Formats: sequence, structure tokens, C-alpha cells
Amino acid sequence: MDGHQRDLYLYERLNAKVLGVSMDDVTTNKYFAQSLWLEFPLISNTLAWMGKAYGAYSDKPPFGPDGSLLTFSRLTVVIDQKGIVRYVKKGSPNNQEILELLLKLGKEFRGK
Amino acid sequence: MKRKIRAGFTPGLASALVLTGLFLGGCATLGLEKPKSALTPTDRGTVIYKDEYEFKRPAADWLLLKNLEGGDFELGFMKIEKGPFPTQSTFIYDDQPFGSSPDLETRAKQYCTRFLFNSGVLPDIKEQLNIHLWGQPAIAIYLEGENPNRDEKAKSLVYLVKKGDRIISFALTQWRPMKGTHDQAAFIQFEAFVQSFKFLKKSFYENFEDRLNKLGP
Repeated sequence: MDGHQRDLYLYERLNAKVLGVSMDDVTTNKYFAQSLWLEFPLISNTLAWMGKAYGAYSDKPPFGPDGSLLTFSRLTVVIDQKGIVRYVKKGSPNNQEILELLLKLGKEFRGK
Repeated sequence: MKRKIRAGFTPGLASALVLTGLFLGGCATLGLEKPKSALTPTDRGTVIYKDEYEFKRPAADWLLLKNLEGGDFELGFMKIEKGPFPTQSTFIYDDQPFGSSPDLETRAKQYCTRFLFNSGVLPDIKEQLNIHLWGQPAIAIYLEGENPNRDEKAKSLVYLVKKGDRIISFALTQWRPMKGTHDQAAFIQFEAFVQSFKFLKKSFYENFEDRLNKLGP
């Protein structure tokens, strides 16, 4: 999250918006965002449908067979302005790779 | 994003390494080249690392730290202190220090809430100074902290330096037993490293901004 916040000025220049998604409730996300000084929105997706839709959740239900709460795994998704998913990567985000892709998409959309 | 320094060892890996050793032993007679050192000495009394950075290397008993799979720093050195208590001094250069603000004062505040947070030490800021480093605005932060559970204490010096639109950092931490004393030797080595540090290439972000400027509004 720090990395995205550090690169926010570049994302803005590339007309890209960052949204964080977690299964935590709004209050938890609010304090999390404050602790990291985040300026982009965090979506509280407690019912996990977004995580499931984008693959951060595999095909598992929100609760394990023993009743334990399952959480999202780290996943970065880039969606272009037509709503097409252009990038999906598990694990810690690779900001340089994401910026390169956004630059490429920026060129594509400007026809350069 | 967490970066890892690997130091683990497993029996399976050990056997694989022994086998590899045997194979490589066989290759030695075929003229296998010795791996090239990561640090290339210059005639200016400095070394060059990855063709990107030039600096004065600390004494030979400081070991070069390298990242595997990315890490919390770009490069660093570590010195293990001999004695009955496991102590060490470490210093690093990090191109993406904790926090996100491009403002030095705010970044210092952000940085200090995270610095050494995995070690169980909550360091106190003893002094914070606005300075210039290689002509660039910078902040020097002197910190000290203790971890009574592990019977150790830490003394650190952090430099946050403005570099274009971003901020980079240099940090030294010296670990000692609670009853031990800190010494200045590590700080002298660190100071020479920082003062001599030069960037030989534009960073990814500097190059990226150039390309972004060419793209236009």
C-alpha cells in the first residue's frame, strides 16, 4: 500500500485510479488507511464478492469447514478504461511492472 | 512489500549443494570462471555496485548484503561483532524508504513509526536535524531504543534525502547487549559510505518520468 501511495502522483498523471479492497469492515479500513497515510479509497468488501470475482479468493467460501474466516490473498488487478482486465498478479505488487503497463495502456489509448 | 534476506538451510538443500559442489569440482578442471565480485574497485578508492552506485566501501569485515526477491533495501553492509552476545551493525541504502510523502518532515514522521518495528524496539528520536547531503535537502534522525525481552538495545542514524520528486534513505543500526556500550567506529564507516555515495545511472523513476513527459498531458 505504501508503494501505491508513493506512486500516486504517477498514477494520476497516467489517469489511473487506485482502489484497495479488503474483507475488513469500514472502521478497520479507516484506521488502517490512517496508519499508512493512504489517500486513495479502500473498499470494505465484507461479503467477499469482489475478491471472488477477481480471483483473490479462489473458489473458497468466506468460511472454512471449521468455521474460521478466510481472507483474501494479495492480488493486483489492472482494469482499463473499457472495463477490460489487463493485468492480474498474485503476491506483493510490483509497482514498476504496473507503471510500465499503465504507460503502455496510456500510449494505446492515445494512439501513440 | 517485504523483501527477504535468506539465511536458512535445510538437509535436502544441503545434499543438493553437496552434489552441486561435486559437479562444480569436476568442472573446475574445465576452466570454470570464478564468480565476479559484486563490487568493482575504482582508482578513486571507491567501489562500483551493479554499475549503478559508487561509494567508499567500509572495511573488509563489513559484509555486503544483497537482496533476494526484492527487499527492504537496495544495498547494505553488515558487521558481526565477536563476543558472547550476538550483536551486529548494519547499514543500508534504500530507494523506497518507509512512508510515502515527498515532503521531508512528513516522511520523517511516517518513517519513524515503522523503523525497526519488526525488532520489538520502539526507538526514541534523540535528535532530528535539517541538513543538506550532496547539496540536496535532507533530514538526519538520531534514534535509540531497547528491547528488554531480548536484553539488547539499538542506536541508529537515519538520513532521508530528497532526490527529485522522491525521497531515499540511508540507515545505520548498531545492536548491543543492554549493558554493552555503543562505539563510534560503525558510524564513521557509515558516514564515509553516505558522503561518498554517487548515482551513476538514472533510477527507474527518473527514467519513467522522462518517458511520461514525452507522452504529454
